[in-house]
Amino acid sequence: MAITEAHAGRRYPPTDPYHVSAAKIAEFATALGDDNPRYRGDSPIAPPTFAAVISSQAWQQLFTDPELELSVERIVHGDQRFTFVRPLRPGDIVIATASIDRVRLRAGSELIYATVDITGRDTELICTAQATFSHAREAAA
Amino acid sequence: MKATVVEGIEVGTTLPPMTMRFTRERLVRYAGASTDFNPIHYSEYFAGRMGLPGVIAHGMLTMGTALRIVTNWVGDPGRVISYAVRFTRPVVVPDDADGVEVEFRGSVSAVDGSLVTVSIEAISDGQKVLGAARAEVDLGVRVPHRDHEA
Repeated sequence: MAITEAHAGRRYPPTDPYHVSAAKIAEFATALGDDNPRYRGDSPIAPPTFAAVISSQAWQQLFTDPELELSVERIVHGDQRFTFVRPLRPGDIVIATASIDRVRLRAGSELIYATVDITGRDTELICTAQATFSHAREAAA
Repeated sequence: MKATVVEGIEVGTTLPPMTMRFTRERLVRYAGASTDFNPIHYSEYFAGRMGLPGVIAHGMLTMGTALRIVTNWVGDPGRVISYAVRFTRPVVVPDDADGVEVEFRGSVSAVDGSLVTVSIEAISDGQKVLGAARAEVDLGVRVPHRDHEA
């Protein structure tokens, strides 16, 4: 059974808790070449796209789901949207929960629309990451 | 409550542009920081096997870098309430000292009270590498973050 439109609504268990740290935030900001003082110092916040580090763990669950028969190296990230309730901060312990919103079958590929909710303590919603992935059915020649 | 910061900002207001150089070193740094170790971002061999013209930058590196144009402008990245892009074209990064230049431009495309939408362009080698890139920022009064209350 490969991925079909009927997989819309498929939901994955939450990822292992991720502990946000000041060191990782600073490392990520440096990787972006970003010297914004809000990413450093006593009370830093994470760069907004740091949320991808956490959502990617949930995407992996979807990519490696045996039921979908996807080949990870044939997946291309098409669109990305983040909606932020508040920034991530050191001390946050968050989990990411992925679900498939929609699957569109096209000639030679599948489009997968997925949403990841990043939540903190007491299911506080911190960020939503919506992505579209294109999966090529056959390997590139 | 009208936020004074929004005054003078209108549709068409342009943000200071930015040019960044993507080198292999930056890709390796981003791979480590983001934990995205897909080999198409550091290995010519794996990139070629995927039919790519060469090693390409992480889409999320381009997305994250492009947002700097907005966060540099507003100062506080905590004001960003949404950000979306389409990855339209890969950024090929040569294995040399110079890498490749990516140019970022932004302009205000909507203002709704204290909510300001910035449309962003990212251009490399004369081609747009991001499509429909938009960030929404709230320039109004923000409630203090919880950790500041503690």
